[in-house]
Amino acid sequence: MSRIAEHPILGAPEKGRLVTFTYDGRPMQGYEGEPIAMALKAAGVMVHRYTAKRHEPRGIFCAIGRCTDCVMVVDGKPNVRTCMTPLREGMTVQTQDGVTAKVPEGGAPTDGKA
Amino acid sequence: MERHDLIVVGAGPSGLSAAIEAAKCGLDVVVFDECARPGGQLFKQIHKFFGSKEHKAKIRGFRIGEELLKEASDAGVQVVLNATVLGLYQEKEVLVRIGDEIRHVKGDAILVATGASENTLAFPGWTLPGVIGAGAAQTMMNLHGVKPGERVLMLGSGNVGLVVSFQLLQAGCEVVALVDAAPRIGGYGVHAAKVARCGVPFYLSHTIVRAEGTDHVTGVVIGEVDKSWQIIPGTEKHFDVDTICVAVGLSPMSQLLTMAGCDMADDPKKGGYVPVCDETGATSVPGIFVSGDVSGIEEASSAMIEGRIAGIAAAKYLGYVEQAAEENEVHALETSLDALRQGMFAPKNRGKDLRETEEGCPISQNLLRKGYLSDEEVFAYPGVRKIAGVHPVIECTQNIPCNPCQDACPKGCITIGENITSLPVVNPDAQCIGCGMCVASCSGQAIFLVDEDAGADTATVTLPYEFLPLPKAGDKGQALSRSGAPLCEAEVAGVRSAPAFDHTNLLTIRVPKAYAMRARFFQPMEGGCAEWANQWTVPETSAPSFRGPMTIC
Repeated sequence: MSRIAEHPILGAPEKGRLVTFTYDGRPMQGYEGEPIAMALKAAGVMVHRYTAKRHEPRGIFCAIGRCTDCVMVVDGKPNVRTCMTPLREGMTVQTQDGVTAKVPEGGAPTDGKA
Repeated sequence: MERHDLIVVGAGPSGLSAAIEAAKCGLDVVVFDECARPGGQLFKQIHKFFGSKEHKAKIRGFRIGEELLKEASDAGVQVVLNATVLGLYQEKEVLVRIGDEIRHVKGDAILVATGASENTLAFPGWTLPGVIGAGAAQTMMNLHGVKPGERVLMLGSGNVGLVVSFQLLQAGCEVVALVDAAPRIGGYGVHAAKVARCGVPFYLSHTIVRAEGTDHVTGVVIGEVDKSWQIIPGTEKHFDVDTICVAVGLSPMSQLLTMAGCDMADDPKKGGYVPVCDETGATSVPGIFVSGDVSGIEEASSAMIEGRIAGIAAAKYLGYVEQAAEENEVHALETSLDALRQGMFAPKNRGKDLRETEEGCPISQNLLRKGYLSDEEVFAYPGVRKIAGVHPVIECTQNIPCNPCQDACPKGCITIGENITSLPVVNPDAQCIGCGMCVASCSGQAIFLVDEDAGADTATVTLPYEFLPLPKAGDKGQALSRSGAPLCEAEVAGVRSAPAFDHTNLLTIRVPKAYAMRARFFQPMEGGCAEWANQWTVPETSAPSFRGPMTIC
């Protein structure tokens, strides 16, 4: 997925500075202050978590903090609504599996599905 | 305990409007909102609003949001962000979480303006990443500058589905189809027509059979439904998409009012479970008021007026305004609100199969089923007249509350009259100067300037154009019909942009005279299209991507 460079009504989007965070152990970039979910979306990440019982993938649904489908493990804390949480430099963002991280911190991604 | 005259829950259009009026009456007002930014959903609304001047018609939603924030700050309203109201208890005590802290705050009056949340629809695959709410799409592209997808299917033909489809096109996404199980388009015909002429096909009486994909959406199957909403075997159609947008209505977020012990009612006309309230928003619990979508789903313009009414009512409840003054102000606002609640789409007309406009013109069934007027039907309306030289052609065919075109024309070519839902009438005796103010002022993008006498066998058509890149004079391409089908070759005669047009560019194309009343959109030549795609994408920086084919509009 890609970012909009120039919008016919809104012009160029106003963004914070480009910062690096880690997604399942690998470095990724996004703009400071934008919701974590937007940085992931712009980088093409669709799956935010797998459900506890049936291990089904879930991603962004409402993008305004209502549905909680987009929760992930952020800086070690599970169930963080990534659509509402601003991105900061150096954050660790991990795909959530049930209520724990799918990939251990510092570990390499195992399935590459993301 | 911290105490305020009025606590407003929700800093959206309604809550802010209420807070402004209450603060102007002298109340100490605090507004809590769980988001990091105020304005609710207003900052995602990039289209021009309907209504009349007093309703801020022809102003884009996000600009109304900016005005509202300034007004709130001028009025001394305190807005606390990242503050989630968790509970509303007896004696009007509010429990609010700010960061990791939980606080109890007491209000002498409370106004709940929590708005609504999006509905969804369960179909096989509905939980797959890539199935998103239409509001989520707006949030991504209009607030954060991120494309929701490359190829999108929209489910739902109400105003949200129609407006967001157009915004997806503006953001550079391809909308492969607009689908609704209902037999008729639910939203304004003008919103449908601007999507249809970009080439988006409408599938009414269709619904989603399933979303396809294992870890995320890769396709979708739709099928036609019979009168009992069952899918007719053999009618299935497949589309390759990466995103399915769901726009199937909103539900009031009225939980706090249930908790506070207000009388509630399940009212389908209001969109669900809503507090019982009077016309000022007063609920059954003295001192607790409501306004906006939480008390019944409408739109932002009416939510703002409802907010102002409830803000004044709360001031009166606390003795800050005299009864007579309150009655005067509330009466004026109610008149304004009533004007918005008229016409074919008024709450009282919901679900009715109207066949004629208030003027007795036939309501186009093509518009309701396919999203566009037929070439023949268009002549049945008072905004479409055959006149020599340049003149406006107003393809506004349903009674909706909107009248900026009337004020926009400096020459008196356009009349709507007192009743703002009346269809605009083009006066054949007035002298159009081709200024295009009407084209830019029309929130429905339904006005065109047509000149059938622009040279030998040539006509010019001036149309509203809100896409990038902006074509230049001399560019070649093709003219599209109202249904988005290619009609004929067209050349750009000129492009006008002005601050007064507010990003609605006026694109004038030259077409053979025979197409003057059929050509309604312009598509640049193939080469131009590829260039367009390049302008729209930033190189990928990292990580995997699911990039579909880059086809635009």
